[in-house]
Amino acid sequence: MSSSDPQRAGGPPSRLTTIALIGAGVLALAGGGAFYLASQRAVRPSEPGTIAVRVGDKSCEPMDLTVPAGRSVFEIENASNRPIEWEILDGVMVVEERENIAPGFRSQLAARLKPGVYDITCGLLSNPRGKLTVTASAHSEAEKVKPPLKAFIGPLSEYKVYRALRSNRMIQAVGALSTAIDAGDMDAAKSAYAAARTVYRHVEAVSGRIADLENAIDPVATYLAGREQDPAFTGFHRIEFGLWHEGSVTGLKPVADKLEADATTLRDRLKAVKFEPVDLAGNAAREARRLAEGPVISGDNLYANDELVEFAAAVDGLEKPVSLLVPLLAEASPEMAKATTDAFAAVRAELGKLSGSDAAPVIYSDVSPDARKALAADLVALADAIDRINPALGLE
Amino acid sequence: MRISGLVGASALTFVLTSGAFAQEASLDLVEPIAEYKIYVSEKLAKLVEDTTAFTDAVKAGEVDKAKELFAPTRLSYEAIEPIAELFSDLDASIDSRADDYEKAEADPEFPGFHRIEYGLWEKNSTEGLAPVADKLLSDVKELEGRIASLTFPPEKVVGGAAVLMEEVAATKISGEEDRYSHTDLWDFRGNFDGARKIVDLVRPLIADKEADFLKTVDANFETVDTTLAKYKDGEGYVTYDKLTDDDRKVLAAAVNTLAEDLSTLRGKLGLD
Repeated sequence: MSSSDPQRAGGPPSRLTTIALIGAGVLALAGGGAFYLASQRAVRPSEPGTIAVRVGDKSCEPMDLTVPAGRSVFEIENASNRPIEWEILDGVMVVEERENIAPGFRSQLAARLKPGVYDITCGLLSNPRGKLTVTASAHSEAEKVKPPLKAFIGPLSEYKVYRALRSNRMIQAVGALSTAIDAGDMDAAKSAYAAARTVYRHVEAVSGRIADLENAIDPVATYLAGREQDPAFTGFHRIEFGLWHEGSVTGLKPVADKLEADATTLRDRLKAVKFEPVDLAGNAAREARRLAEGPVISGDNLYANDELVEFAAAVDGLEKPVSLLVPLLAEASPEMAKATTDAFAAVRAELGKLSGSDAAPVIYSDVSPDARKALAADLVALADAIDRINPALGLE
Repeated sequence: MRISGLVGASALTFVLTSGAFAQEASLDLVEPIAEYKIYVSEKLAKLVEDTTAFTDAVKAGEVDKAKELFAPTRLSYEAIEPIAELFSDLDASIDSRADDYEKAEADPEFPGFHRIEYGLWEKNSTEGLAPVADKLLSDVKELEGRIASLTFPPEKVVGGAAVLMEEVAATKISGEEDRYSHTDLWDFRGNFDGARKIVDLVRPLIADKEADFLKTVDANFETVDTTLAKYKDGEGYVTYDKLTDDDRKVLAAAVNTLAEDLSTLRGKLGLD
């Protein structure tokens, strides 16, 4: 974990610690029984506090271990008659492992463990597993409410992957839309349009903040002086207007081609966006409020009237970055983690209530102002819940 | 005495820098970790595609075709092993060896690639392998699904470069991994490619401060490449027994040095 870990900071400053050197320094090679001296190193004496685990034919000794959170060094002795792999498991996930410890040999393994109960493997896959209990320390408790910076690298990376995959899919869907328009195939064009809008909604919390592109991809006629006749009326809604209002693909091909080019630019721009840890929740909360104030009240898709489907996609897009923080939040404040999950469920339930059935979907122009306000209120409550995440993780 | 065991035990060396000198992990790691996940996802898509063809051949009783597809199919798996083996249940069902089971090869629980390998090469038959093949394909698909929803732990990604080289040192140099087919050189290729990918992704973060380190690592990767190239056969490699003792020594030395050097990568990036 962080270099401020008290267990590490106290060590001799220039120490280069070879910790898992085992057995002989002789490397034996299979070829013709030749032995090859590849690396000769002294076995490092055990660190103070090394935890010994002896793996026999049928079980570990001990089968039950307790260590404090933080760094622990285990010394595994293979007292069975087969090569073994030794693993620390959290459910099915491997936390740390040492492979191929030969019979009669010892191997050391350093692990930095969070509080919790883990399994340890004991030789054959069919052998019973032992238990490793990691108890909380002052340091681990402090890290719960202020995780180190590196705890956010995984979530930030995952959200970056999500944006990359979504924006690639959007390029594909817009390509299919363009092809369908070219072929004059209205049904294919409408379904490609819907597919492209879904992935667009997934990333809108980020893309919506890239103003120049947003004005090319997603302008609505309401905000343009000449409304539908305005030359700046382009992008998705221009195509929506053609397909649903005019019932024709006439004049849509150049719009679709431009949208395709813009989708590619969007992918590259999204790739370049650098997120800080605060942005994961911050951006999602901002987008939830934007949806509540604008699109939910006045509608976005004036011609297709399929806002309810798109709002559901938008909620999925909000949940992705937030869900990446939930494991950290669950440690800092289980109640808050639950409140966040509940707030998402409440918005989805409200959307479900309004949406009708698959056979008879409700169009948004039939959703009453009061019902829209109720949905907006749920989104604001969601934004409020998300806004509590950063302070809970020591990010503000 | 099991020679393989000796190799494994002695080759595993880990050097950790002390906390006082380890630098703080930086958000510059976000980019390489994200790129790595995309790399892994592409390899998994290929693994599912190749495993489908491989298991189809097994189920159709096409022994020769299945033998031909075995090693190339494993290539993608071997390249992403540091992530694939994070799921202990799937690692066991896809890639465990006979040693992990009480009755070894005769154990009805012995599954996965190596169970099929055993049937194809030792028995020259696909008899009884259809359910094993079905299970393997469904496990590989399950792996793809789980990895898709996995947030990659940065220390596992960066540490993965060393893990791959340790794998080679511990279980590959001995020819133990693919003990029935002797296609180990293919697996080497996958492991090296996977390790090199990780080094290349984090290279910009350490290029200035660790130029000498990178030079040494690159030189060892070069040695491995040059040595492996001698054994190239079509798209793949000759069987492992064709490797001369001298080349085996050259590979072992390069692998051990790489395993040791790359084990410091986590520390250099503040991830210990």
